[in-house]
Amino acid sequence: MYRLALNMLFGDRAKLAMLLCGLSFSALLMAQQSSVFFGIMSWTYTPMVNIRASIWVSDSEVEQVNDAKPMRDTDVSRVRSVDGVSWAAPLHSSIMQARMPNGKFKLISLVGIDSDTFAGAPATLTQGNIEDLRLPNTVLVDEWGANLLGHVVIQPDGSEKIIPLQIGDTFELNDTEARIVGICRVKRAFTGGPFVYTTYDRAKAYTANVRRALSYVLVEPRDGVSVDDLRLRIERETGLKAWTSDTDLWHWKEGSLARSTFWWFWKNTGIPFSFGTAVLLGLFVGIAISGQTFYSFVLENLKYFAAIKAMGASMGVLARMLLLQALTAGMLGFGLGVGMAQAIGRGMIEKGMPPFVMYPQILWATFVLVLGISLISALIGMVKVARVDPASVFRG
Amino acid sequence: MSTATNIVTAVRIHGVDKSFGPAESAVMALKQVDFEARQGELIMLVGPSGCGKTTLLSVIAGTLRADAGSTEVFGQRLDGLSQEELTAFRRKNLGFVFQSFNLIPTLSVRENVMVPLLIQGISYGEAAIKAGAILAKVGLEGREDGSATALSGGQQQRVAIARALVHEPPLLICDEPTSALDKDTGGKVMEMIRDLSHSPNRCVIVVTHDQRIFRFADRIAEMEDGRIRRVVDDPRQLETPSY
Repeated sequence: MYRLALNMLFGDRAKLAMLLCGLSFSALLMAQQSSVFFGIMSWTYTPMVNIRASIWVSDSEVEQVNDAKPMRDTDVSRVRSVDGVSWAAPLHSSIMQARMPNGKFKLISLVGIDSDTFAGAPATLTQGNIEDLRLPNTVLVDEWGANLLGHVVIQPDGSEKIIPLQIGDTFELNDTEARIVGICRVKRAFTGGPFVYTTYDRAKAYTANVRRALSYVLVEPRDGVSVDDLRLRIERETGLKAWTSDTDLWHWKEGSLARSTFWWFWKNTGIPFSFGTAVLLGLFVGIAISGQTFYSFVLENLKYFAAIKAMGASMGVLARMLLLQALTAGMLGFGLGVGMAQAIGRGMIEKGMPPFVMYPQILWATFVLVLGISLISALIGMVKVARVDPASVFRG
Repeated sequence: MSTATNIVTAVRIHGVDKSFGPAESAVMALKQVDFEARQGELIMLVGPSGCGKTTLLSVIAGTLRADAGSTEVFGQRLDGLSQEELTAFRRKNLGFVFQSFNLIPTLSVRENVMVPLLIQGISYGEAAIKAGAILAKVGLEGREDGSATALSGGQQQRVAIARALVHEPPLLICDEPTSALDKDTGGKVMEMIRDLSHSPNRCVIVVTHDQRIFRFADRIAEMEDGRIRRVVDDPRQLETPSY
């Protein structure tokens, strides 16, 4: 009977198309919005991904990575003095206005790294040499920033073309020249500004030698010393806050700065509510369209179900037929919807925004929800079929 | 078809009442009905619209429960059976030919015929072979894989007959099998029902008000106002009916 159930489903192409539209739209909305949500949330702790160090030490009041409270330079030495520390390096992080050669200002994220060790430097340089950061007034710019801060050239046909910044190009930070000596590849920041890397001391100069320019102290434990133990020891001995740099959303633990950042944005911004609403909307739209379409599918086939019932099919067999039809439509709808979400996501990634991170967990959750919608649809149909009187087949 | 010496009762209805609607305004569809159908015969239930033919057929088929009285089919009392037992009873013992065919439009001709076999748990392959064989008997060889809705009314009813008989049920229930067909096609369909279904172990009950097919009956039970008015062996014994 189950093969016939599938043939009944696939035989009604118009209904099937409508059913798949509802289910795939629902899956698309849920998967795509969740992926964009997690993508945006992953941007909130981008510095943790770009700057690799096992432990980040901050002022004790810090709650999230983008809101560093300035510390004294001597705090680096205090951290270094803690037993178990292999090395500790200063890190500056601030938002600044860059003045471009055309006089326009652009927002950037300035990162100052240790000039001796370059601890915290981006892992991938697509152009240039990190050692050139030792030269006066030099910076690294990320690939995306090189485009964003690029020169606008008017083409002969009147259209605008952006020429990305290149090695040797300059701009100004706080009236001080910044000359590009390298282009790096890093993950984009939530703040929207590109990352500009320079040395810690030069970053201080760019920020007009503020008294406290130290944002974080990057720490690596000695061999054999556990990150968690050292983190707690640093907190105990310095009174500062020490964080792990774990950025794995599904496995991070208490003490991870990325985790703290994620939850800070969760609690203090409307992002989860906004995306949560869209996901719920997808769920309700899915239930409404699929439920209604499946119900009308059952309604149109009701006299046949009544005939099958009269012929001796038990309600169990009919229920399983409906369940199979609904779940098959659900799985097809899920595949189509998630496929579309992936295609849209790839397009987004290629264009650079908005961020799109489709975790396997999102796929599973979407799968479960779409099957849930199918089950609800099947249940609605089952109620109708259960109520149909087999004697109704004799009424013409 | 049956003789006086070996009459075996297939269906026995005694004192059956059936009403519809709330008690204060109930419509009595069956009033103390007594009825008997025998193995090996084709009996017709005839009468004007609203006389209770279809209600009686539904009670015999076990798709409707009587309010009072007893219903016995092949020695099995139906009034005491649970819903599940009734369903199982229908699955094994009954074949149906409906007025509006009730062929599933999204299935092929063969698949429509396979339905009763698949309900019984027979494998798809075996059911397909049996369905093909009976479709050949009703003259639809070569049409097995087409859509049932692409067939003419007469052909569709032949598919319905094949579906009703494919699992070889001892009781065949036909509800107005010719009402949607023209005279010639209706006659051919009745010939087919008579030829294919008549066997010593099978009883065929046909509800109709189509006088053109009365001649195919072994006996005719005439109903009026919820009662069996009379049962005759020869349609000519009926006065010219007004229905």
